[in-house]
Amino acid sequence: MNKIMYLEFERCIGCRACQAACRECGDHDAKERNYVEYVDFTESRQTYPMLCMQCKDPACARVCPANAIQITDEGVVLSAMEEKCIGCRNCTFGCPFGIPKFDFEENKMYKCDMCYDRSKHDIAPMCASVCPSDAIRFIDFDEMQQLRRRRSQMNLVEGKKPQEGNKWEYVPEFFGVYTD
Amino acid sequence: MSDFIAKEGIQNLHKPGEKLITTHCCYCGMQCGMHIRVNKSSGKVVGVEPRYDWPVTNGKMCPKGVTAYQTIDHQDRITKPLIKKNGEFVESSWKEALDLIEKNFKRLQEESGKDALSVFGGVSMTNEKCYLVGKYARVGLGTRYLDYNGRFCMSSAAGGFIQTFGVDRGSTLPWTELEHSDCFFLAGSNTAECHPTSIQWFWKAKDKGAKLIVADPRETPTARVADVHLDLKPGTDSALANGMLHLIIKEGYVDKEYVSKRCNNFEELKQNVDKFTPEYTSEITGVAVEKLIKAAHIYGMSPRSVVMFARGVEQQSKGVDNVRLYSSMALLRGQVGKFASGVATFTGQGNGQGGREHGQKSDLLPGYRKLTDPAAVEYISSIWGIDPSEMPKPGVSAYEMFGEIEKGNIRGMHVICSNPAVSAPNLEHIWNGFKKLDFLVVSDFFLSETASFADVVLPATTWAEDEGTTTNIEGRVIRIRKVTDPIGESKPDWEILSLIAERMGKGKHFLYNEAGEIFDEFRLATKGGKADYYGITWDRIDRENGVFWPCPAEDHPGTPTMFEESFYTEDGKANLGVVGWKEAGEVPTKDYPLFLTTGRVVFHYLSGNQTRRVDFLMEQCPEPFAEMHPALASRYQLEDGDMVKLKTPRSHMTVKTKITKAIRKDTVFVPYHWGKELAVNQLTSDCLDPISRMPEFKVCALQMEKLPAKKEGITRE
Repeated sequence: MNKIMYLEFERCIGCRACQAACRECGDHDAKERNYVEYVDFTESRQTYPMLCMQCKDPACARVCPANAIQITDEGVVLSAMEEKCIGCRNCTFGCPFGIPKFDFEENKMYKCDMCYDRSKHDIAPMCASVCPSDAIRFIDFDEMQQLRRRRSQMNLVEGKKPQEGNKWEYVPEFFGVYTD
Repeated sequence: MSDFIAKEGIQNLHKPGEKLITTHCCYCGMQCGMHIRVNKSSGKVVGVEPRYDWPVTNGKMCPKGVTAYQTIDHQDRITKPLIKKNGEFVESSWKEALDLIEKNFKRLQEESGKDALSVFGGVSMTNEKCYLVGKYARVGLGTRYLDYNGRFCMSSAAGGFIQTFGVDRGSTLPWTELEHSDCFFLAGSNTAECHPTSIQWFWKAKDKGAKLIVADPRETPTARVADVHLDLKPGTDSALANGMLHLIIKEGYVDKEYVSKRCNNFEELKQNVDKFTPEYTSEITGVAVEKLIKAAHIYGMSPRSVVMFARGVEQQSKGVDNVRLYSSMALLRGQVGKFASGVATFTGQGNGQGGREHGQKSDLLPGYRKLTDPAAVEYISSIWGIDPSEMPKPGVSAYEMFGEIEKGNIRGMHVICSNPAVSAPNLEHIWNGFKKLDFLVVSDFFLSETASFADVVLPATTWAEDEGTTTNIEGRVIRIRKVTDPIGESKPDWEILSLIAERMGKGKHFLYNEAGEIFDEFRLATKGGKADYYGITWDRIDRENGVFWPCPAEDHPGTPTMFEESFYTEDGKANLGVVGWKEAGEVPTKDYPLFLTTGRVVFHYLSGNQTRRVDFLMEQCPEPFAEMHPALASRYQLEDGDMVKLKTPRSHMTVKTKITKAIRKDTVFVPYHWGKELAVNQLTSDCLDPISRMPEFKVCALQMEKLPAKKEGITRE
């Protein structure tokens, strides 16, 4: 898999189809793992989607005392393994994006796994499949680069580009998983 | 014929033990392609899979579409006929229900004549069913009183298109061409919420530099990304359109050759729009002069442009005029009948296009034939096997049927696939009508607000339990597939109609074993009509990704682009709209100083009878709200979430306040998907368009009052 989840916030229409679709993924227990937020509803209807960044060195996995959060060969950061998760919620505190969710009834963490049962076959995750405005896309690395070059001038933070060291300060625009 | 259709190279996730069945969504006119996941051993519907290779929507779906399958095997489904006994619904057998219907229908017709019965149809069902509703009313029951919920949805667009182009096809171009357009002028359409999957086409074009102009009193998710947002006062579209026409002429953007060759009335139009200077237009519409000028230049300079509109301009007492004027913008620019340009309306209901062509309207017969045309009556009578003299005369429009009930002319009604107890305007009048009826039959798969008034409720199937076709937003005829067997004892509408017709002694006209037979009859019925489906077959639809009507023969390719050579008017020329400015039916006064406008939210569909039963959608939007600007809210001391009483000359209701700057300061917006005390249609105006008989849902005068906050003491257990 050499695909990128590419987000373009401006396109988001706030329909939450991505969330409805997330529940439809076979391995998701009908619980969504992604987020759609208003920037500030009083000012405008601008919304934006938030998904797991599938970090290369994920804070959630690092802080897990039980080693329950596995990373696949492709780089997908999975939900905590049921048999290992001790329900400490460290991952939810550790993630800088507030992504992992916690099921208090089952006492376990769950999160976006890029619909691993789909994406491992190169089939787009449900959120990216249905997003009506292409605010969420599942595209080839090359296509991402092409789009990135075109978008660079219209970046949300004008004249600046997020660096690896400070990208948390910026609203991220794309992320993905890479096989080395 | 295979149930699963995918092009080569397209990957879908096939789960073990499941099969995919290829169909389309049941909701809006986009008719998004989807595969439904069915468990092979139990036959139960278990989920949805994107249909990546459907050319109009590319696998995309809105939250309603993603969850649509959940309505199929839903716990609220009516699975047996219900008969009201002592005010309570009691489950009964089909025989008992049909006996009761036969007895009452015959009694009413014996006492008060054939026209004592009426049929209220809907267009969220297949062409086969819509066609049969017309035949059922006219042949099965023999009544003139037949109309449908398209009167609340598409009829102004239909009226405007017929006057302008001579035929009513919702889009003059296939939407797969939209990405090549340079400019979109969207009037009264919040397409991002109401037809979400259409937005991909606007973005595809925008990515190549296309411009977007949106006219809407609210800064909707559609207007938010527009290059120019014309934030007009509700009900001032005809002034705005005339203002745009004025500027197009003044700035020299008219395609003179096209207009002189293909359009009538140019001189009259020129004279008519002369006074609509930007200043005058701005005074009426409240839109800044600079915005009008900027919009006109962008629109006028674009080599390929599409004018599109929706309920915002159509649900007005001048709906037809608005459609004519906006269509004229495209005609002046010479855009209609060419590649990636033209005029389109956003069809609200799933089969809003097909359903209005096949004779559910009070004055129409299948194939868009007129009931007042003796040749049409003769032809359809021959298909139906009746004598032309037996064909009932035209009746009245949907809303006006309730006037006939009040007068005592209509005493019985059969409501099919519709929920006018939520979706009609001035609801108290509608509710009183339902109460006054001697006998009401409702076919539905959920107990709607309308069904709760019924004497008999017949369990219909959902879209996924029957075969058939619909006609999407573009005029493309597409295939709906049976995914599962009917739930419980429910039956498809065509079967229900045939059963009642048989009881009324007309069984020989309704000998159908399956929907395909109805399709074949209805192809023949449309043959030679304006909406000619004769050449369309279910096989062709699968092979060709749908077929665009008119398609008069099986070797005819269909007509994706309309009006390439000439228009359907008598002289083959389009009629430019020459219409002055008129106030809306109701304007703000001292006592009612604000505008109330209504519309949809992305999470619900029409009267909400389906979407209000889907958990995900209700979690997102459980109740209506009054959306207003903070400047307006502070005048009434309202804060976000406060309860506010909304009052119009008809009625009042109480809802929560929702505050955003993304709306005009003089306008309050309330979505209409809820019933009873939560129905904003209690408040809406019943002022009708003189031609389309479309009620003015989009404009009424409003009084607002802050309610004292309820004292909510903290109680500790």
